[in-house]
Amino acid sequence: MTVNSFKKILVPIDGSSYSEKALKRACDFVEAFGSEIILIYVVEKSIPINLLDRKEYLEILQKFGTKILDKSKRTLSKRGIPAKTFLKEGNIVNEIEKVAKKEKCNLIIVGNKGLGSVARFLLGSISNKISQLSLCSVLIVK
Amino acid sequence: MTIKTKKILVPLDGSKNSIRGLDMAIHLARRSQGTITALAVKTVPGIYAIHPLGFLDFNSMKEVKKLLADAKLRAAKKGIQLTGKAIAGDPGYDIARFANNSKNGIDLIVVGARGRGSAKEIFLGSVSNYVLHKSKKPVLVVK
Repeated sequence: MTVNSFKKILVPIDGSSYSEKALKRACDFVEAFGSEIILIYVVEKSIPINLLDRKEYLEILQKFGTKILDKSKRTLSKRGIPAKTFLKEGNIVNEIEKVAKKEKCNLIIVGNKGLGSVARFLLGSISNKISQLSLCSVLIVK
Repeated sequence: MTIKTKKILVPLDGSKNSIRGLDMAIHLARRSQGTITALAVKTVPGIYAIHPLGFLDFNSMKEVKKLLADAKLRAAKKGIQLTGKAIAGDPGYDIARFANNSKNGIDLIVVGARGRGSAKEIFLGSVSNYVLHKSKKPVLVVK
């Protein structure tokens, strides 16, 4: 066997039910492989927002992000799993990629779609981009 | 909740990436005491579906069978039970259909990021992409 031992698992979350599913799946992996979980929430900055409301809007998103991260961390700690959390700002895919590279993650677990409503029936745009561009293995939870 | 990946589907095409996918599946199966189902699809161009003599290509399944035998050997070395399946058709479509068929009871699909398609290893292959979109089961993309 090569180095595929899933030492570090990155779980991007956005508060949707799919990301919760992904988190559950990640817990399974932790129990099976004894790996480490890194949670990340990215505040989307690239969407065009009204210039005047921009600051306020980002603040709200950030608050939402910290809330989601705290919630997920709590569910993890209930199972006795420690987790590192990140709150980033910028383009979602880029930030996830950057963190994955920096932390040398072996696996990314994503839900098959998130909060975006455009591609309801197919793979979400973010999940799609991650699976195309990431350098480490990706598990897509359906 | 324990890990529920009892039955893992591994589509094979003989490329290095699919072998890597198989290795990963073996690794996972060892953890969860699961079994592996290997699926080798022989590409049949769509035109043969109409042509009555299209399937008369006698040595066609030879390569596929050899592939499955190799995979079986590889899994047996690690003590994992592997059942091989060879079908002819369009790879992406048939893999997705096989996975979605509830009779087969697949829990997880492990695919290599890229098959025999091209040299650009980083990007996702067309078949992997198709399976990713169309399957209703979790998919692990091995890079």
